[in-house]
Amino acid sequence: MAANYWASTQRRHWLFTRERLADIREGLKEKDKVAHTQFPLPDQRLLNIYFSQQLGRLGKRMSTRQQALATAQVYIKRYYTKNEIRSTNPYLVLTTAFYLACKMEECPQHIRFVVGEARGLWPEFIAPDVSKIGECEFSLISEMHSQLIVHHPYRTLSDLQTELTLTSDEVALAWSVINDHYLTDLPLLYPPHVIAVMAIIVAVVFKPSSQTSYHGHPAPIASAMREGGMNILAALGDKGGNGPPERIQKLIAWLAESEVDIKAVIECTQELVSLYEVWEQYSEKNCKELLGRMVKSKSLDK
Amino acid sequence: MAFSPLVAPSPLATAPLKKSAVSGPANPVQENESFPQLQGGADREITEQLNDEVRHKYIKAKKLGEGTYAVVFLGHLRTDPSSFVAIKKIKVNTEYKDGLSMDAIREVKYLQELSHPNIIALHDVFSSKDQNLNLVLEYLPRGDLEMLIKDSNIHYGLPDIKAWMGMLIRGVWFCHENFVLHRDIKPNNLLIASDGEVKLADFGLARSFADPYLNMTHQVITRWYRPPELLYGARQYSGAVDIWSVAMVFAELLLRVPFVAGNSDLDQITRICEAFGTPTEDNWPGVSKLPNYIPADASHLVPVQGRDFFLRQFPTAGPVGAELLMSMCTLDPRKRSTAYQALRHNWWASEPRPTNKEDLPRKAGGTKKMGDDLTRRGGELDDQFKNAARQLDFSAMKA
Repeated sequence: MAANYWASTQRRHWLFTRERLADIREGLKEKDKVAHTQFPLPDQRLLNIYFSQQLGRLGKRMSTRQQALATAQVYIKRYYTKNEIRSTNPYLVLTTAFYLACKMEECPQHIRFVVGEARGLWPEFIAPDVSKIGECEFSLISEMHSQLIVHHPYRTLSDLQTELTLTSDEVALAWSVINDHYLTDLPLLYPPHVIAVMAIIVAVVFKPSSQTSYHGHPAPIASAMREGGMNILAALGDKGGNGPPERIQKLIAWLAESEVDIKAVIECTQELVSLYEVWEQYSEKNCKELLGRMVKSKSLDK
Repeated sequence: MAFSPLVAPSPLATAPLKKSAVSGPANPVQENESFPQLQGGADREITEQLNDEVRHKYIKAKKLGEGTYAVVFLGHLRTDPSSFVAIKKIKVNTEYKDGLSMDAIREVKYLQELSHPNIIALHDVFSSKDQNLNLVLEYLPRGDLEMLIKDSNIHYGLPDIKAWMGMLIRGVWFCHENFVLHRDIKPNNLLIASDGEVKLADFGLARSFADPYLNMTHQVITRWYRPPELLYGARQYSGAVDIWSVAMVFAELLLRVPFVAGNSDLDQITRICEAFGTPTEDNWPGVSKLPNYIPADASHLVPVQGRDFFLRQFPTAGPVGAELLMSMCTLDPRKRSTAYQALRHNWWASEPRPTNKEDLPRKAGGTKKMGDDLTRRGGELDDQFKNAARQLDFSAMKA
């Protein structure tokens, strides 16, 4: 959290429209159609789930702050808007993004330590030579045009906590919704405050009954959102509606007065719903195999 | 969120550095659609081309200075030999094994986002053939404040000091308004542009305000400019640390010698107590709980100095100036002026008026000085003190 979001490089250079993002990816694909046919990969979101879980494992071993993991995920996304994933070793990119993000979020880890831990997790894909990470760091910084500060929605969430009198359960749930949004393209598409508002709405409106560490078990929230989901969208569209309970009405009143882009918030909510739907197809084994095959047959780990 | 009234945030055209490592052998040509004019470049990678374009924008003329961590060159635009820049080449290769140093990361990170007349501008970043990171910085040919303070042939007065202090505090205000702590304010980090504008440089120790309750290191800020809370080992602190440094620069400008120049951390805190008063629970609630707090000898308590002391000690500042200085070196950081409060002080509105920046005293030889300043690592004192002061360990684990 530094500097001003509105003047930030994130807003000026790393915010895309959906169409633009699709074009960029189509462009990358056009460049190497062969690789695309030869090495099919799962849905981007499923890959993101896999990356996020792997990062989580790495972070856990070194007890890293959540915010550094979030920054690392954004770095990976930015990097893969410039580079076709099929020409990289994703494990190396992941480790380096983690290493750089830790420095950026002021919780630096020694490069040897990071390499050691990464090798412990993925011995086939990470070389013992630390200079690989050093080089990859250089490349990462260069591809991101040395624009390294990432603004996250977490701070907005804590700021709004008092204003919207959120309960600690709601904050915890909104927090994990924010964690989940890194599995989608949302960080490249919307400003952090829109994401934070979306997370708060999801937490307040849908309140899935069981919210105990649902990371990896998206079913409760997904179904809650499917069931109760449409009233909030309806309520947002029709402010005079008399449907939702008072607490939700209060939130809607606040939203209506704020200048937050409500349409964007709704789009984010839908994106999240579809993430939870696609999540049901997730198979760690599948991701691991496809990535492994790709890296090995193209000798990207060298 | 802060908008300086003075600044129109200009998009910094930064170009990518050279591509490397991550790509495997079957490396497709990259496409970058934000630069459509370059898409024709068949077999070379666009990012590399872009980097070359930026690199070719500049010509490195001569070396200005070299330190352990960076080399600084004087450069200029290829298209316009009269528009100078300073190119700071960070020695990546030497530190390759450890990744990029925190200093370099911090410098790039903050200068990319902060754009203000009183903060050194970062024009471009590119990589050179040997995979070194090059920062293209604003050219500041008139040296730094330290040079002017030390040169007894240079005469300056209160209007000049007021002009310099105004520019310094505006720069610091902008940092704080954007949640950035500089953490190494001192005269030789205050560089002077050709039009006389003072620019805050060297962001190698800067960081964002920590989230509440998260710890930061107290081993920052060059000793003579370090506030008592850091000397006492505080791990949670605010922009007040920079304000103390600003006050020390103010005092030094007035006296033309450092006001409290300790030769060890312990000596520094002793001198602060002697000069400004002994911190106690009365004048600074909570001070005794700081980790490195040393209880004062009851027989040797110095009372907190009031206005009279500052007036006596800094007669040139005048009564209103002395009051501003006093408000910026209050022992208790919570009671110290903020940059915003300092800018609202009525000293600025009272006589004498500050000198126009074009008419400020100047001294030759500034270019060389800039070279030295930009190669120095954060937290270092002058050369003769280098080893004594170099207690900072950047290798890792500091926050």
